[in-house]
This record gives sequence, structure tokens and C-alpha cells, in this order.
Amino acid sequence: MVALVVVVTFVVLVLSVLVAGLLRSHADILRSLHELGVGVGDPASTDGAQPSHERTPRLPTWSTSQTDLLTAHTVAGVTPSGDARAVAMTNHDGFTLLGFLSSGCTTCSDFWEALQSPDTLGLSDDTRVVIVTKGPDRETPNEVAALSTGRVPVVMSTEAWLDYQVPGSPFFVLVDGGTGVSVGQGVAAHVGQLLDLIRRAEYDRRPRDRRRPWTSSGRNGPGREADADEVLTMAGIHPGDPSLYPQSLHDVFPFGGGATAPVAGANGAHPDRAE
Amino acid sequence: MATIRAHGIVARLPDGFEGRIFVRSSVMGRTYPVGQFATFPIPDDIGDFGSGAVHLMGPDDIFASLFQYGPESLGTALFSRQGRPTAFTSADFSPVRLRRGIPGQSGTQWFFTEAGRPFSFYAVLGSHPRRDALVPGVNALVSSLAIATAESTTQDAPPQWN
Repeated sequence: MVALVVVVTFVVLVLSVLVAGLLRSHADILRSLHELGVGVGDPASTDGAQPSHERTPRLPTWSTSQTDLLTAHTVAGVTPSGDARAVAMTNHDGFTLLGFLSSGCTTCSDFWEALQSPDTLGLSDDTRVVIVTKGPDRETPNEVAALSTGRVPVVMSTEAWLDYQVPGSPFFVLVDGGTGVSVGQGVAAHVGQLLDLIRRAEYDRRPRDRRRPWTSSGRNGPGREADADEVLTMAGIHPGDPSLYPQSLHDVFPFGGGATAPVAGANGAHPDRAE
Repeated sequence: MATIRAHGIVARLPDGFEGRIFVRSSVMGRTYPVGQFATFPIPDDIGDFGSGAVHLMGPDDIFASLFQYGPESLGTALFSRQGRPTAFTSADFSPVRLRRGIPGQSGTQWFFTEAGRPFSFYAVLGSHPRRDALVPGVNALVSSLAIATAESTTQDAPPQWN
């Protein structure tokens, strides 16, 4: 009898330890989910603090959702030399890229250089580049002048930053002059990323019957992949189509009357095959 | 409606217009303010009266230049008109009044004195046959301008080393 009591007591203790461990693990999981921004409530605090997902740094993004699009305002202000300048957004059919930059922002330095050499960026001829800094009340005109080459308009206008709801620099807004609204806005980590976003916007705006895959250099990555997908879809070739996975030369050259030897790497070993 | 102001000139730009008011840097002597306004993108490096820009105009476009002359022009017969013209008519525009004759375009130029400053106002229409539709745009632009008296609106040439 005594032995039975001892065994039962031991079992109860072991089960208690297991239950305590499970509860602690569950709490850790809930805390982790909450830190990822998908939790409900905060088990560690009751002060209604700001959710952690709102405290995380903003990542490079480019928004094209309709709810984020703004009516394009004329950018009006002064130049670093004290002249007045107003740049309208809707007086031509092309795009206008507004680069909201600062003189003291280290991340902006590459953009200052690149945006003032639009010929080397490979943008379409009807895409206009305008650099916008805050007004002389927030920026030193001499510092802005030192960064300006005079090749693209540089307008100092705090009002424009407010109009376009710019959260900080560098920030970019792409305006479609034909519709008078911004078609994309956000931040980019580097010039290449910005250019890819612009080219995609330019491509998306073309009439579908005028769209062609990029043949110029510099078109790589997701943009090129999207182009290829679109052309294939227009040709009736959808994901999983057997023609994407040739098993023999006859599959590749059906009218060539050639051999029927297996394609190198076939049978699931093709290097480009995506499963 | 955007407003720009510099060098004693204020422009409340009508919709569709952009513009700039600037003083060119000069190696010697004085330079005076120039206002340029257009319904199309104004290139940065163009002449005071639109050379380098007017060939970019479409048939529905307008280009205008407000150019201030030096004080030696005050009191001369050319600038005897007091105040800018405010209500242009289609008859004021003619292809022969263009400083640079581009076929199809039409222009007008007026000299006047306002606020003690001698100016010329030069406007180009992208299409002479469409001047009836375009002249109201010029009038809207002209009426949006305000000119302050001549005080500290000129720029001395910066000192130069020999």
C-alpha cells in the first residue's frame, strides 16, 4: 500500500512538471506571435502599448494600392539659388518621378547623384525627374546647392512634402501625368531597386498590345520573370503546361522531324525545371 | 493653384501651368528677373524668350515670358504704357509676332512699365488657328501675376578674381 502511494505521488509530480512545461511553452509561443504582430492582447503588459509591429522599422516598400494613391499636386517652392520654381504634374502624358531627398541624409547621396544623371538611368524619354527637398526653413540652401548639378529641377518646398505625405527621406513618388495621380510611392534601398519599380510602372501603363518583353540590358530579376510569365500566358501557356517540360527533342522541335533522343537533363533532372 | 514668388514677382499659376521666376547669373553687369510660364514641362536650359522650349509645344500649349529690362529703359517711348495688358484678344496674336517663327504658332509681345519696373510680356500659342480657345489661358495667367516695386530685385554680378 505504501509503495502504491509513493508511485502515485511520483507520477503526479512528473505530470505536474510536464503540465508546467507545456504552459510555459504555450506562453512563449503566444509571446512570439504577439511580437510578430499577430497576437491578440499583450500577456506581458496591460498598458495598451503600441503593437510591436508598428514599432518595427519600415522596410523598403513600393505601394501601388489604390487606397494609397494621391492626386498629384504641383510642386512649388524655391530653388537653392533663391529663384522660384513650380513643376506641374499633369501638363504632359509621361511620368514624373519626384525624389524627396535631404542634404544631410547619407542614404540619399546615391540618389542625389543618380537622379541628376537621368540619361544614364535608362528611363523612358517621357519620364521626368524632379528632386524635392524641404523648404529653406528646414534645409540650408547652400548645402542643397552643393548637391545640385542643375541638370534636373531641384525644388525646395516643405509644402510639397506635406502634400505628398512624405514620412522621411529618401522617398519617391511616381506620378502619371495622363491621369494626374501617383501610381506608386515609397522608399527604395538603392537606385537599382527604384529603377526596376519605375520600369515596371512604365510597362504596366502601356496598352497590352504594345507590351513586349524587355530586350534592353539591365532588365533582370522579378521584372523580367513577370514579363516572361505574361508573354507565356498570352500565348496560352500556363504554369504546369507540358511544353515547359520537354522530354525529348521532338517536344522542342515538333516540326523538325528530328531525333527523339531525350533532352539532356530530362526526366525531372532538367536544371531549369521548376517544380 | 500653386503660387510662386521671387524677385518681386508673384504668380498664382492657373491649373495646368508651371513656371519659374529667376535671375540669370552674370559674369559682368547686372541681370534682371525673368518669369517663364508654360502649360508643358519647361526645360531647365532655355532662352529668356523660350528658345529651346517653343519647339516642344503642342497645338494646345501656351508659353509666356515676363522679362524685366534695366532701369535705363524707364521713361522711353517703348515702355510708356503703364501697367500690363490684362485682356488679350485673338486679334493680338499673329504668326509674324513670333520671335522665332515656327509654322503654325502664334505670338504677341507687349512692353510696359509697372511698379516702376520696365517689362515685356511675350506669349506664344501652340496653334494660331486655335487661338480663340487658347487666349483665355493667357489672360488667366496675366491676371494671376503681381509685381512689387523695384527694390532689391536686381542682382549684382559676384566679385571676380582677375
